[in-house]
Amino acid sequence: MSDNKSVFPPEEKEKWAAELTIANNELAFQNGEKEKRAGEVIIANKELVFQNKEKEKRAAELIIANKELAFQNEEKEKRAEELIIANRELVFQNTEKEKRAAELIIANEKLAFQNQEKEKRAAELAIANKELAFQNEEKGKRAAELTIANEELAFQNEEKGKRAAELTVANKELAFQNEEKGKRAAELTVANKELAFQNEEKEKRAKELTTANRELEKAEADIRQLNEELEQKVIQRTAELESVNKELESFSYSVAHDLRTPLRAVHGYARMLKEDYGIQLDNEARRLMSSIMVNATKMGQLIDDLLTFSRLGRKELVRTNISMQELVTGLCDEIRSEDDKSKIEFRISTLQPVRGDITAIKQVWLNLISNAVKYSKLNEHPVIEIGSRIEGTEIDYYIKDNGVGFDMRYASKLFAVFQRLHDEEQFEGTGVGLAIVHRIISKHGGRVWAEAKINEGATFFFSLPKNTTS
Amino acid sequence: MTQDVQILLVEDNASDAEMTIRALSKITMASRLLRVKDGAEALDFLFAEGAYSDRSVGATPKLVILDLKLPKVSGKEILARIKSDERTRKIPVVILSSSREALDVKECYDLGANGYVVKPVESGAFSDAIAELGMYWTVINEPPQPRVLLKQVTL
Repeated sequence: MSDNKSVFPPEEKEKWAAELTIANNELAFQNGEKEKRAGEVIIANKELVFQNKEKEKRAAELIIANKELAFQNEEKEKRAEELIIANRELVFQNTEKEKRAAELIIANEKLAFQNQEKEKRAAELAIANKELAFQNEEKGKRAAELTIANEELAFQNEEKGKRAAELTVANKELAFQNEEKGKRAAELTVANKELAFQNEEKEKRAKELTTANRELEKAEADIRQLNEELEQKVIQRTAELESVNKELESFSYSVAHDLRTPLRAVHGYARMLKEDYGIQLDNEARRLMSSIMVNATKMGQLIDDLLTFSRLGRKELVRTNISMQELVTGLCDEIRSEDDKSKIEFRISTLQPVRGDITAIKQVWLNLISNAVKYSKLNEHPVIEIGSRIEGTEIDYYIKDNGVGFDMRYASKLFAVFQRLHDEEQFEGTGVGLAIVHRIISKHGGRVWAEAKINEGATFFFSLPKNTTS
Repeated sequence: MTQDVQILLVEDNASDAEMTIRALSKITMASRLLRVKDGAEALDFLFAEGAYSDRSVGATPKLVILDLKLPKVSGKEILARIKSDERTRKIPVVILSSSREALDVKECYDLGANGYVVKPVESGAFSDAIAELGMYWTVINEPPQPRVLLKQVTL
C-alpha cells in the first residue's frame, strides 16, 4: 500500500475515503432495504402458497361441476334427437294436411259451380212455367175464336151453295163466249203470224239499214279524216312551196343585182377604151368595141326586166277600183307623144272598170300596147284596137293589131320568160314583157291568151274577175 | 392633205370606183376626192378616228357618195351614223346603188339621204349621172355656213 501512497497525494486519499464512507453508508442502507424486501417476499410467498391451496380447491370443485355439465349435455343431446324425430313427424303431418286442404278447395269449387248450374236451371224452369201458363191462356182464347169461326164457315158454306148455282149459269154463258173467242183467237193467230212475219222482215230491213248506216258513217268519217289529212298536206305543201318561192325570189333578186356590177364594168371599160384610144383604132376595131357596148346594154335591159318580173312575184297586190278607160287612154297618149312621127291609129272602145292593183294593171297595158306598137311598125297604116266585153263573171279585155302576127303553133310559148317568136334584129326585146303580163293577170285570178295569123296581126286577150265589191 | 377633201366616195368595187372617179375628175381635182373601200374606213375618215385621227371632224366634205353594199359596215349604217351625229348630219349624202328596190330607196330617205341614184348599166349614162350630181352638190348647191362655235364669255 505504501507504493500506492506514494502515487496518490494525501488530499486525494482523504477525498476518496470520504467518498467511500458515503458509499458504505449507502450500501448499508441498501442492505437494510434488501432485508426489509426479503421479509416482504417471504410474506408474499406465504400468501401465494395460500392462494395456490385455494386454487386447487377451486379446480376440484370445477371438475365436479364439469362432470355435472357433461351429464347435462348428454341429456340435452338425447332430448334434441327426440325433438328432430318429433319435427319430422310434424312436417309429414303438415304436408298431408296441405294435400287435403287443396283437395277440399277443388271440391268446394265444384260444389259452387254445381250450385250455380242448379240456380240457372231453376230460373229457366220458372220462365218455362210462365210460358206454359201464357200458352194455356192463349189456347183458351183460340178455342173460343175457332168456335165463332166455325159458325161463320157454316154460314158461308150455305152462301157458297147459292153462289155455285149462279156460277153454273154464268159458266154456260162463258163457255159460249169462249167458243166465240176461240174462233176469234184463231183468226187473230193467223193475223199475228202475218204481223210477226212482217215484223221479222222489218227487223231484218232495219238491221240492214243500221249496218248500211254504220258503213256510211264510217265511210263519212274516213272521208272526213282523209280530207283533214289532205288539207294538212295542202297547208304543209303550200308552206313549203311558199318558202321555196321566197328563196327563189331572193336568189334571183340578188343574182340580178350582182350581175349588173360587172356588166357596168364591161360597158364602162369598153367606152373608156373607145374614148381614150378611139382615134388609134381602125373601123373594124371600133365596130367590135361598139358591139361589146350594145350587148352589155342589152344584158342590162334583160336584167332590169328580170328584176321587174321577180319583184312582181314578191309584191302583194293592193286592189282598188280602176277606170280602165282613163288608164288606157292616158297610156296611148303617152306613147303617141313619145314618138311624134308615129302614124299609129288607136281605136279605143268602151272599157269596163275593174278591181285590181293599179300599178300592176298599168304595167300589163303598157307591155301589151308596146308590143302591139312594136310588131305593127312595119305596116303602112298601123291600127291598134282596144276594147272589152263582159263574159259571165269575167270581163275580157282585148288589144288587136294589124302587125306581123305569129304562128299559132307556138302560141303556148308566148307567155314564158325569155321566149321570143321573132328574131331580135327585126324586133328588139328581151322576152320578158308577156311573161310579166301573164304573171300579173294570174295573180289577179285571170287568164291570158292570144290569137294570130302570120302577117295578119295578133289579138291579145286577158280576163279579170268582174267587180264584186264596189 | 385629207383636210381638203371635197368629195368622199365610199365604194368597194374597183371598176365602179374607177368609172366614178373618172366621171368626177371632169368637175373636180383628183386631189380633192377621196375614195375609201369599206364602211369602217369611211367612218374613220368622217369621225377622224383610226388612220384619220389627225384630221378635224369639222372639216366636212361637200359631198359623200355612198354605195349600199359594203364590206364591214353597210351603206345604210354609215348613212345612219352621219345623219344622227350633230357634227356630220348636214353633209349631203347621195346613195349610188345597183338596187332599184322600193324598200331600199325608202329606207335611205327615211335615214336622211339627200339623193338616191341607181347605177345605170350603160356607162355613158352612168358617167353623166355622176358628173351631174357631183357638179350639183359641189358647185351649184349652196351649203349652210359651217357652224361657228361661240366661246363662252366669262364675266
